[in-house]
Order: sequence, then C-alpha cells, then structure tokens
Amino acid sequence: MKSDSLPKRRVVLEIFFLVLVPALIFIIYMSLGKYSASLFSVFRGNTKARFVSLNVRLPRATEAALFGAVSGISGASLQTALGNPLVSPYILGASSGAAFGAALSIAIFGNVSFLSTQPSALVFSLVAIFLTISLSRFKGHSSKVTLVLAGVIVSALFSGLLSLVQIMTEPEKTQAIVAWMIGRLSTATWKDLMTCTPLAVLGILGLLILRWRIFVLSSGEDEARSLGIQVERDRILVIILATVATAAVVSVAGVIGWVCLIAPHITRFIVGPHPRALLPASLSVGASFMLLADLISRTAWTFEVPVGVTTTIVGAPLFLYLMRRSLYEWN
Amino acid sequence: MNGINVERLSFSYSNRLVFENISFHIGDGEVLAILGPNGSGKTTLLKCLNMLLTPRGSVLVDMQDIQRIEGKHLAKIMGYVPQNHSPVFPYRVIDVVVSGRTPHLGLSAPSGDDFEKAYLALERLNISSLAERAYTQISGGELRLVLIARALVQQPRFLLLDEPTSHLDLANRMMVVKAIKEIAKEGISVIASEHDPNMAALFTDAVIFLKNGTLLASGDVSEVLTEENIECVFGVRAEIVERGGVRYVLPLLHRYDFSSELAST
Repeated sequence: MKSDSLPKRRVVLEIFFLVLVPALIFIIYMSLGKYSASLFSVFRGNTKARFVSLNVRLPRATEAALFGAVSGISGASLQTALGNPLVSPYILGASSGAAFGAALSIAIFGNVSFLSTQPSALVFSLVAIFLTISLSRFKGHSSKVTLVLAGVIVSALFSGLLSLVQIMTEPEKTQAIVAWMIGRLSTATWKDLMTCTPLAVLGILGLLILRWRIFVLSSGEDEARSLGIQVERDRILVIILATVATAAVVSVAGVIGWVCLIAPHITRFIVGPHPRALLPASLSVGASFMLLADLISRTAWTFEVPVGVTTTIVGAPLFLYLMRRSLYEWN
Repeated sequence: MNGINVERLSFSYSNRLVFENISFHIGDGEVLAILGPNGSGKTTLLKCLNMLLTPRGSVLVDMQDIQRIEGKHLAKIMGYVPQNHSPVFPYRVIDVVVSGRTPHLGLSAPSGDDFEKAYLALERLNISSLAERAYTQISGGELRLVLIARALVQQPRFLLLDEPTSHLDLANRMMVVKAIKEIAKEGISVIASEHDPNMAALFTDAVIFLKNGTLLASGDVSEVLTEENIECVFGVRAEIVERGGVRYVLPLLHRYDFSSELAST
C-alpha cells in the first residue's frame, strides 16, 4: 500500500530547484552591479572588490533574501490559515503600523536612524497587529471575516495618523518619510540584519512547525474545531508569528509591497496548495523574487530605483495574471 | 447507559430562541434522523451536540457531561460532517481525508500509517479512485462522501451528519444512503438531520420530529412516520405506503385546496 502517496522523484526534483534557483540568483546578484566585483575577483584577493562584496552587496543581498523569505512564508501561512487567497500581513495592519511608527520617529528626531526609526516602526507595527486581533473579537469570538475587517479598519486608522504626521511636519522630513515608505534595500547594513533577523527567524521556524495546523485551519472554523483544533488560539498564533516576522523586516527595509501577496501564489503553481510543501517552498520563491526585483532595481536603470517601486510595477500585472489563471484552474 | 443522552436541551442566539426542551437518546450503532422543515433548528441542534455551540441543558456521552470533555478527546469519539463545505484551495482528496487523523496527532504531520487509514476509509465508501483528484473538481455527492470519509478516519463512535442528502441528485443521494447504512453496521451511531422524510426512512431506524424548535414526536419510523405527523410538521397532506419494509411518504397534490390559500393571501 502507498504510504504518503507523493511521487518521490518529483519531490526530490522540486527540492533541488527550490535550493538551486535562489542560490544561482544570489550568485548573479553578488556579481553584477555598478562596480564589477565578481566572486572570482573577491577570492583572488582584490581588496576593493572584497569590501564592496562583504560590506555593501552581501548584507543587501541577505536582507533582500530574508525580506522575501519572510514575506513568502507569512503570506502563504495567512492565506491558508484564513482560507483567503487575498490576505497578506499588510492587510492585517503590519505595514501601516510600521509606516506610522517610522514617520513619527522621523518627525520627532529629524532623520532616519538605526536607533529610532526601526524600533519605532517595529513597535507600532506590533501595536497595529494586536489592535487588529483585539478589535476582531466580537462578542468574545473572532472569525476570519472579522479579522480581515479589523485589519482594514486598523490600516485605515494608521494611514490617517500617518497623513496627520506628514501634514504637521516640515517638507524635508515629509520627503524622508515618503522615501522610507516606498521601501528600499540600498541602505542595508549588517546592523540592520542583526536587529531584524532574530524575530524573522523565530517567525519562520514557528510557522514551519505549525504547518500541519495551518492546513487543518484552512478547512473552516467549525470543521477544524470538530477535528479537535482550538481554532481561535491556533489562528491567532499563526497571525502573530507571520506578522511579527513581517514587522521585523519591514522595520528595516520599509514597506515593500506585493511580495507577500504574490510569492505564495507563484509557489502554489509550483508545488500545489498544501502547506506541507507550500510553506518551505514559499521561503525560496519569496527570496528569489526579492533578489531578482532588487537586482533589476540596481542594474536595469541608469539610476537606482527603490525596490518597492519595482515590486509594485512588476507585481500588479503579475498578480492579475496569476489570479486569472488560478480562477480558471480552480473552477 | 451507553450512547448519547440529550436532556432538556435549549439554545438561543442572543434573544432569538432556536429550540427548546429537546430530549432524546441514541445507543451504540443506532441511526437517528432529526426530521423537520427548513429553519426548524436541526443544524443548530447538531452543532450543540458537538459543542460547536454551547446550549443550556445537558448532553451526556456515556453518562459523562460533554462540556467536561476536552476538544481533542471529543474529536476522537465524535465526527461531524457539515451541510456546506466551500473549498478554497484545490487540495488532493487524500490530503483532505487524512486530516481526520488530526485529533490523534500532535503538531506532527500524518504518518504513512495515517495515510493507510485514509485510503481504507476511501475504500470503505467505494471512492478510492478519487484519492489523487483535487477535491474542488469532484461532484457534490463525491465531496459529501469525502467529508464522511474524513470523519470516519477520526475513528469516532458517533457521527453527526448535517443534511447528508441535500442538494444531491438521486444517484448521489443513494450513494450517501448506502454509506450511512454501512457505517451503522460497523457499530458507529449516526445522527443525521434531514428535511426529506423519504430519505430519512431509507437510512434510519428512529426519528425525532422538530418544528419551530420544539420536539413534536419521537420514536421508531414505523410508529411516528405517520400521515398525521407529516401534516403537523410539514403542513403537507400525504399518504404513507409501505414497500419492502420501507415507509414512503407520498405528498398528495390533488387533496390541496389552493383556492382557499390564495384567497387568504
């Protein structure tokens, strides 16, 4: 009798590609740029190439990959657990809270700083998420519908507060706020990575551990409960893990849109909808997507475009295409 | 006393009473149909038996208060098949069925052994050929059977089925009816809500009639599936005929006096 019924050869092939593709993109990413610093010249001992690679390109590539991996798995987990392919951490308020937090600190301290902007973005992102979770509780219960509604409300609230900050502050600061909000990786440093990596890794590991629960949650509230799952508790745990990891990377890179929505959809086309494969694979797809998007941002134009602009311009039509194809396939 | 004992059960949403003062008993391996028109409170009653809703009164499983049974343990003794399931993601049938093992698992994914149990459940219901199909692309009757298979994989002693034959064509209905009879033969007690008395008569031994949240009659099919009860519960005049030991309800169109109803509106 077949035991777990997945064709082994296909699984091995998928794993191979999901490791190989991001690794290849990573190598290309490290080699291309305004300054030619191929890995070859780094190993030969070119000190300038070494400096550019280790202190500029490597942290930036790592931040891109981490941002993409977190976005991929967070989006995939939330979409599955809430049974809604349009949900993302941003919809639950993670991004608007972070944007407000960053804006507030820029308005008060006058500049983007590793010591003030990031912690403030992180804290307000978490405030927004917990506000969403508590507002979603109606008569002591939260459902997946009230969660999304609460997320939209909280996002709107923080967008309003953000506008207020922008209006009340000086034009130069407003410019810095807008630049932060678009989302960029050009400022990536090892320090940034040290602040955001622990929470990001915590979120990723937690979601990977919970991926069977996430699958059961997707069968609907009553059914998951009748299968012995504590639906509300597990769902909120998934939301906290996904949004905290997202808040951590957004607090250093800004609001880079569309990745957390699109990466899960691309992943579903490759490995199917089951979280068993979807969650680990979305790490790889998300990282590849971000590395590629940032590579384009760095090299395709004569000037550097913030990666948030690239992901949005590439993301919107791509998402439309994916939606149409999935609607066709699912019906 | 083994089985499920329901005593003076009532439930209301904030201030709207759904049903009141319902008592009945079902023993091991018995089948019970909850018969009543749409909106009579059948679905709500089933959800109260599974603690998806919290009623007043008591539900005793083997004389133990169900409110004291932990959710995971309850899932090991009671399976639930909803009336409507709207799939979002095109999971494979076998993956849906194996999720019935959840109460027997921790955080870990199901093992080869669990998958074997899932395949066996599909075999029992004669739908093994569906295993690899996306469960978004099978018929309504097949989906109902897949969800029953998932509940069977829980290895429950009691199975709650919410309108198992609704929205299905005749062949699919008979597929479900046969499955229910098979399941009961294996010693699993089945409680099914049903609005079609003819369907209920095909698979059940005992019936309770529900109307506007009140229990109107209960007992064996041969005792309570009568012309009077059908008229009282559904407001339809009917004739009961018996063929091959099964009772059939034939609604009588020509005995209707439509003119008086039209006049009154």
